[in-house]
Amino acid sequence: MAVQGMWSGTISFSLVAIPVRLVKAIEPGRISFRLLHNKDYSPLTRKMFCPKGETAVPPDEMIRGYEIMPDQYVLMTDEELESVSPERSRTIEIVEFIDMKEVDPIYYDHPYYLVPSKGGEKAYQLLVEVMHRTNKAGLAKFVLAEREYLVAVTPRDGALALVTLHYSDETLPDEDISPKKGKDAAEEENRIKKNIEQMIEDFNPGKYADERRKKLMDLLKTKAKEKAPVEAPAVEEGEGEGPADLVAALEESMRKVKESR
Amino acid sequence: MSRTFVEMAGRRLPLSNLEKDLYPSYGFTKAHILEYYRRISPFILPHLKDRALTLKRYPEGVENDFFFEKRCPSHRPAWVKTAEIPQEDGERRRVCLVNDLETLMWAENLASLELHVPLARARSAETPDSMVFDLDPGDQANILECARVALTLRDLLSRMGLASYVKTSGMKGLHVYVPLNRKETTFEDTKTFSKAVAEIMQKHYPDLVTAKMDKKYRKAKVFINWSQNDASKTMICVYSLRAREKPFVSFPLEWKELENLAGSGDPEKLQVMTSEAVSRVEKKGDLFQEVLVKKQKLPHL
Repeated sequence: MAVQGMWSGTISFSLVAIPVRLVKAIEPGRISFRLLHNKDYSPLTRKMFCPKGETAVPPDEMIRGYEIMPDQYVLMTDEELESVSPERSRTIEIVEFIDMKEVDPIYYDHPYYLVPSKGGEKAYQLLVEVMHRTNKAGLAKFVLAEREYLVAVTPRDGALALVTLHYSDETLPDEDISPKKGKDAAEEENRIKKNIEQMIEDFNPGKYADERRKKLMDLLKTKAKEKAPVEAPAVEEGEGEGPADLVAALEESMRKVKESR
Repeated sequence: MSRTFVEMAGRRLPLSNLEKDLYPSYGFTKAHILEYYRRISPFILPHLKDRALTLKRYPEGVENDFFFEKRCPSHRPAWVKTAEIPQEDGERRRVCLVNDLETLMWAENLASLELHVPLARARSAETPDSMVFDLDPGDQANILECARVALTLRDLLSRMGLASYVKTSGMKGLHVYVPLNRKETTFEDTKTFSKAVAEIMQKHYPDLVTAKMDKKYRKAKVFINWSQNDASKTMICVYSLRAREKPFVSFPLEWKELENLAGSGDPEKLQVMTSEAVSRVEKKGDLFQEVLVKKQKLPHL
């Protein structure tokens, strides 16, 4: 089956425009758990809590604030937030071609594929080929889900991959991380170099499966087979009389209903 | 896997597996399902409009596993309308709005046989525009007992100055709707009111009615589920298909008709299938129209 896209539009540069769809390149393998009450297995829900007065706060009483100083907030409404969100775009406009080697991997954020839509197959193939031969990546700005991203489009196995990049102000400086060079550096350097050389292999990510995920899935499967899963109780609210006026009016109405039968 | 394309209102929609029989013990394919929803669309769309759709998908048919999707799938076409609903934890959930035929066809192509929607519209998710009594028969009770409860409920509500409307659930129960359509109403109001009504009913008809969720109280009785009056709950949309052995739908009935059917003693007569649903609604119009427009205020709150 042709993959459905999470976005569709065109990828373009100068006079070329190719219809494409964006699809995920990665499905994170995280396994998530629900928190249950150990007494009766009710799934727990979160309540937003106001520490002052210790009351639960309903959604219609929640607003957004940006903490500009400790305990000082600038308020922001949905409309204001929307007013600065970029318009949804229909194109990925390549503004320059770069050498992918120049992009520090620390900028890589999230990978996707671009799939050619109907009518675009031929131009797509040509673009992949040329980019592959020249070993170049296209740099573009692109709006996805109300955010503008800087993206790099690269050829990969006969297709186009797209990776969103972090903006430069999102990366943290490394000055404090690299220590000063010591005295006996030369000898030490040689030793490390040798060790590295002994361990050199081709990068083969298939070799490294997420062992914990695999073990966890196996364990869950075994446990589900061995023992019936616990069941959450139906939610029961306490018996209340309701507002006195309402109950009285209902009693009166009920009396009349019964009389008229 | 077979695949074909249709074009509607300038939008291109891929349809897959049209020949797949999703109700195998009866014989009702995906093509039949799409055709049913296309025919019923003028009547169901107003009831789906601007409401967060919960997809209940049966990719391998009604006899196999299903799954719920509350979030609008990320692979949706760009023209599918969506809305953001704030959640209890402060997060927002992006949901699908089925406001046109194309989106309805798209959802059905995903084998979302059952269409579930909340009692409030997405942009006013805390304002129910109706109050509902979900009548659910326990073991050894059936839709005929539900009908008796529904008719008494109608009379009680009517004495309280409230008009009500009834539909089959398409499963074993009945749903009684009280239109409100006032922006001042809250789910706290509808919950308080419906709970008080359910408890009065239980008090006066203890052998027939329970207002308690717990299954041990439900045997041979009708459970009046008032707790559906909640922003986080959904109801099966009127005219939606149900995933049963046969393609039954949730269908509105006239009160008079329910009185007659209740007297007939045959629970099967209260079920409406797709073909009958289309011919009846095309002849009589939408019996649930008032649920969307009639303004009523809950008294004594």
